[in-house]
Amino acid sequence: MEFLTQMLGADVARMVVGLIAIIALVSVNALFLIWMERKVAAHMQLRPGPMEVGWHGAVQTVADAVKLMGKELITPTDVDRPVYHLAPIVIFLPVLLSFLVIPFSQTLIIRDMNVGVLLILAFASLTVLAILMAGWASNNKYSVLGAIRSVAQTVAYEIPLLITLMSPILMVGSFSLADIVAAQERYWFVLTQPLAFILYIVCATAETNRAPFDLPEAESELVAGFHTEYSGMKFGLFFLAEYTNMFIVSALATIFFLGGWRGPFLPGIFWFLIKVYAIIFLLMWFRWTFPRVRFDQLITFAWKILIPLAFANLLITALIMKLR
Amino acid sequence: MLERGLEEKTYVLNLGPQHPSTHGVLRVELEMEGEFITKADPDIGYGHRGHEHMAENRNYQQFLPNLGRVDYLHALAYNQCYCMAVEKLLGLKVPERAEFIRVITGEMNRISSHLLWLGAYLLDLGAFTPILYCFDDREHILDLLDRVTGSRLTYCYYRFGGVPQDIDEEFVAGTREFIKRLRTRFRDYDNLVTKNVIFIHRTRDVGIITQEQCLEYGLTGPMVRGSGIPYDIRRSEPYSAYPLFDFEIPIGSKGDILDRYLVRVKEMEQSLRIIEQALNKLPEGPIMAEKVPKRIKPAEGEVYAAVEAARGEFGCYVVSQGEVKPYRIKLRVPSFANLSILPELSVDTLVADLVAILGSIDVVVPEIDR
Amino acid sequence: MLKDEISKALAPLKLERVEPGDYDKTGYHLEVDAAPEQMPEVAQALKSTGCFLDSLTALDFPEAFHVVYHFSSFRELCRTAVKAKVPKGKAAVTICRVYPGANWYEREVYDLFGLKFTGHPDLRRILLPFDADFHPLRKVFETEKADA
Repeated sequence: MEFLTQMLGADVARMVVGLIAIIALVSVNALFLIWMERKVAAHMQLRPGPMEVGWHGAVQTVADAVKLMGKELITPTDVDRPVYHLAPIVIFLPVLLSFLVIPFSQTLIIRDMNVGVLLILAFASLTVLAILMAGWASNNKYSVLGAIRSVAQTVAYEIPLLITLMSPILMVGSFSLADIVAAQERYWFVLTQPLAFILYIVCATAETNRAPFDLPEAESELVAGFHTEYSGMKFGLFFLAEYTNMFIVSALATIFFLGGWRGPFLPGIFWFLIKVYAIIFLLMWFRWTFPRVRFDQLITFAWKILIPLAFANLLITALIMKLR
Repeated sequence: MLERGLEEKTYVLNLGPQHPSTHGVLRVELEMEGEFITKADPDIGYGHRGHEHMAENRNYQQFLPNLGRVDYLHALAYNQCYCMAVEKLLGLKVPERAEFIRVITGEMNRISSHLLWLGAYLLDLGAFTPILYCFDDREHILDLLDRVTGSRLTYCYYRFGGVPQDIDEEFVAGTREFIKRLRTRFRDYDNLVTKNVIFIHRTRDVGIITQEQCLEYGLTGPMVRGSGIPYDIRRSEPYSAYPLFDFEIPIGSKGDILDRYLVRVKEMEQSLRIIEQALNKLPEGPIMAEKVPKRIKPAEGEVYAAVEAARGEFGCYVVSQGEVKPYRIKLRVPSFANLSILPELSVDTLVADLVAILGSIDVVVPEIDR
Repeated sequence: MLKDEISKALAPLKLERVEPGDYDKTGYHLEVDAAPEQMPEVAQALKSTGCFLDSLTALDFPEAFHVVYHFSSFRELCRTAVKAKVPKGKAAVTICRVYPGANWYEREVYDLFGLKFTGHPDLRRILLPFDADFHPLRKVFETEKADA
């Protein structure tokens, strides 16, 4: 560490170590989440889920990952090769970078930026590009349909997502995630902004393409949507990105509405992770309970209900802030 | 897709034969404009096994096992229809106890078919969990039927003149317990599915079938009952022991998917009622008609028998020329007519709606292909 | 009674045979014989009484195909069987202008028997592959030959 610090300077060293830590975290987190999802789904469906590999199948996903890595990467004929190969990488990189600004605890943050929120949201919207690339390059009609749906959906849901987040930001007066957590010393924002919290959870579900808003990969309609033609670890990267995205939106919810790493007795990092996984559990609960909405209903819901509500919430917040 | 050039407004999307929601090997050729369907052309016959041709090449008894493989989900109704047709040709009278057993097992089979449909249909709509609950319930039925029929899916239980094996006390007790269990489960389904806002929005006012369309396309079963026509062969052309039981025919009002869904769910409740009454009234006596000829050689003639299967009217048209082999057997399968309305229903709908409509028709593709 | 209504509706067509059937033996309330050319009118008459086409099939007899139409009704139990004898080499007449549901049934009969329906909008094979060169339900069809 000291050697690195001397060689690169403190700031760069912090980045390098941080990035390595993030990659480790992302992989472990994805493995855990997949196992968790399978277990949650199984118990909701009257079955035990994976039980064979490790304690209650805990190492099952590791075995699956190894299998996935060992699989042949099939490139169908007539795909748009450069774009087809690039898409899994484009979807995965921004997801990694989003971790740079997330405060896991009071001290555990790689880089606190005064535009933290915007950075995360900007990176999150890059996902659309990757999905569009994957869908278009696959030269498969189901993939294209999935990609088109995904673009329309993400564009529609990013607007209310940002607007809902603006309300707590107004209250704090800063885009920095650390500042937002710091501002929740006395009470969590979920108490003062309950509507924003609900709107955020709905938008986050749509943003991560999960049921009931999993239209880009709607199995019973589009087979597997944009990643129909991907196999092996390329498919694995889409999968990894999806679960990491889930972590990021849940982390944002924790930071904005549930007081981030704040909590009694335990160290901050534990509180942070507990809250994040609780929200992820909520998202999983949605997925295994609800049927899927129809595409036009989804878009209508975003433009006609979510966006006006988000605006109303923002206006009321601004009004109260002004009057106080 | 790229080769067709930019001046073309529509493109062709191949739904199936390998697709998660075509329920077997059905292919629907869709002409699409964006996500909207302008033309749908179902392509059937991937599972054609030539049952009707087989019928002409074997004697009456040998064809019996084929009936369990036409519609494997409600096999007992098909067994029963064929037996009824041949019994009519031979002039056989089935003893009352056998008729009761046929009703009990047939209705159990109907519930298992509807349960599978319920789960699979919600899977089409994107709800993953219900199918496992339905299979959990269905498993009990399969175990019970396994006891008396000896198989779990492709039953071949009824014989000309009765049934070969009597039901025992354990079956009766198990069935009673199952009825109690399923009634509590219906409450769960109701809370989880029928009251779900997303589900209602996906199904209401989608895929509406008018009463005229029912008539023009010869639809039967829950398809017509969903449109408000109380047509049920168990009531309109009473066969077996059905006239002895008290049950209702649930009907819908609008003829949309939601109505068809509700009709099927309520039908399961009515089936439970029928089973309960049949168990209470179960008479003692023989289970096989006396004097069933060993060599079945009906006199020249023809007969049409129909039963209410889970998907609609199953008709069996048997033509005999006085030989040991039937001259011709036509299987009038409900899914065939029911699916033929799909091209008309799917115009100007989204792919998601097509999947929902196709699911609500409740096709069993091997039955269409025969 | 629906049976009488149907008989009355069919009377002006002067069909070969319209007589009540023996329900206990055959499952028909009404048996009708008609010429193939009359079928659209027969279908129209049956439709006006509220009957639907239950099934449509054919029987292969040495001298002719018998096209068998089964009609039934949602209102009242009345099964009507209409038979039209089509001599070999001739074609039957489609009723799918009256009953769109007959479209697929006629395609099936064409597919399995090789019997053509004049006026059918889309007479393709339906169950067998489009390039099949046999009609399996004809009595002259031999299974072994087709397998080879």
